[in-house]
Amino acid sequence: MKLSRMRFAGIWIWGAAGLIGQTSREAYRQDYDAWREVHANLERDAGSGGATLIPQVDRAAARVAAFGTNRAAYAKAAAQTAAQQRQALQATTTRPSANLAPATLSDLVKSDLQTVTKTITRFADDKDRGIQQLRQSLERERDALGALNDSIEARQKAVAATTAAASALEQVRVRAAETIGAETSALSQNSVQLEKETAAWAAYYEGLAKAIQIANAPPPRVEVTTVVPRNDSAPGVPRARYVGAWTYPVSNGIYHGAQPEFVDVVVHETNGHADGTLFARFKLSGGATDPLVRFDFQGDFAAAPLQRFPLMTSEGTGGTIELIPGPAFNLLEVNFVTDPRQGKINVGNFILVKK
Amino acid sequence: MKRVAWLSLFLCSTSLAQTPDLTALEQTAQKRNAEWEAQAKSLEERLARILPCDARSSAAITEVKGLSEARLAALSDYIRAVSAKAFAETAAAKALLSAEERRAIEASRERADAGQEQTAVDIQSDSLLQSINQRSSLQDAQKLLEQIGALIRQRSAESQRQADAAEKTIPILRDLVAKFEARDLALQNESAAFEAERTRWSGYYSARQARAQTECSITQIGAAPQPAKSAPKGKAKQ
Repeated sequence: MKLSRMRFAGIWIWGAAGLIGQTSREAYRQDYDAWREVHANLERDAGSGGATLIPQVDRAAARVAAFGTNRAAYAKAAAQTAAQQRQALQATTTRPSANLAPATLSDLVKSDLQTVTKTITRFADDKDRGIQQLRQSLERERDALGALNDSIEARQKAVAATTAAASALEQVRVRAAETIGAETSALSQNSVQLEKETAAWAAYYEGLAKAIQIANAPPPRVEVTTVVPRNDSAPGVPRARYVGAWTYPVSNGIYHGAQPEFVDVVVHETNGHADGTLFARFKLSGGATDPLVRFDFQGDFAAAPLQRFPLMTSEGTGGTIELIPGPAFNLLEVNFVTDPRQGKINVGNFILVKK
Repeated sequence: MKRVAWLSLFLCSTSLAQTPDLTALEQTAQKRNAEWEAQAKSLEERLARILPCDARSSAAITEVKGLSEARLAALSDYIRAVSAKAFAETAAAKALLSAEERRAIEASRERADAGQEQTAVDIQSDSLLQSINQRSSLQDAQKLLEQIGALIRQRSAESQRQADAAEKTIPILRDLVAKFEARDLALQNESAAFEAERTRWSGYYSARQARAQTECSITQIGAAPQPAKSAPKGKAKQ
């Protein structure tokens, strides 16, 4: 279980590294294809396959993690972009002020036009040369006022048309903002949903790997009709998978929790009875002040792959140790838990290599 | 394509940021209008009390003409600023429509992807059920796979809903862009009408000034006495 977590921690790191520069749809679809290719027929093979399937499960888990992470990141970025672009709909649209085309303007011009027209009429029959000159001048002024009046009316119509167009626009803008606003919040939920799926896939592959490992164990004996000698091996799992000297690899060690600097485990077996010692030093983290862990353990081998024995530390603290055969013959997973003590490391989980 | 959309948005936002304060421009235009109106309304009444050749006559018309030009210049600044802001809004709306059209295509792809994933999980589930007959330890994994199937079905339904919503949104946005364009066209027409009116005002004040000169020339009343050497024929009248 804990080993699987280690595996998945690595997978997530791998997946996150793969995320850099890959937030396009094409990129995550490539991830999808790669995942399906690696996954192949895992479910079918899980019925009959053994530990050799585990690396394939790991690869598929890594691929789906990369795919899920990239896709969720893409969905999140797309939702953020959409929200930003849709902000344009939130602001009231611009319309020019209608107050700048007052009716008084037109009134003033019309009044002047009337005055000038009346004056022209008054001088209509006057033959005096000077008066005729004045009348011509007034006629030019009247024409100018008439043209001005026409242009004022034309602008007033244009202002009214702009006002109407701006009102129609604003109505549609409000409607569009309402419609699209609801979709913006829905869009932001997509990445949340995808993250859930990614986590579910991680749990699935973890469960699949666990099930395949358990499936490797032979079915427990239902009946024992003969006296079993104490030195019989646990059925299906040779004692050699536990017995011997084991060490933590110098490089690329796999662990969960406290990081070992070195670990030495020795397991002996006598007539189905195990006894052993563990000596380890860890990198200090959290509240631990003592990097060393040393304890002895003993107990009878069980007829199951997982062996659990009580332990006793050099300081007299109790606890348990689990020995689990690894995916390869020379690998052994170790879990230990001791009663908590101030400054002491009381939990460890790592994979050892046979010396 | 994405870059172009972002660039256009950036330019729009830059343009909006550079748009002068419309309220201030409107207030200036209103102030200039009030200044002109006060003098323009009383112009004829004041001219009626000044002799035709009195220099104050021409000065009064020139003053009102100057106020008119200041008013029209302020109004021109305001209309230009309104147009700039409006056109930037339209550009942003067009960019949004373009983005939403792409998103609608994306939504339909998402829907197809979800369907494909659903099919894959169904196949996995069938295979796993077969394997459970051989190894019962796979039952927990089967339950997890069923949960994943449920999540994908949920997402598939949501993808369908979003794709449908996107299909409905596009026509609304197209209508919106059309309304933006109609507003802009109306603004262009208003701006053109304003420029035409501006020219007419100038023509009117020129005609009014010309009439004042005619009144002076035919009456020669009210002109300031000319120095002897510059008025040899003594045309000045009382």
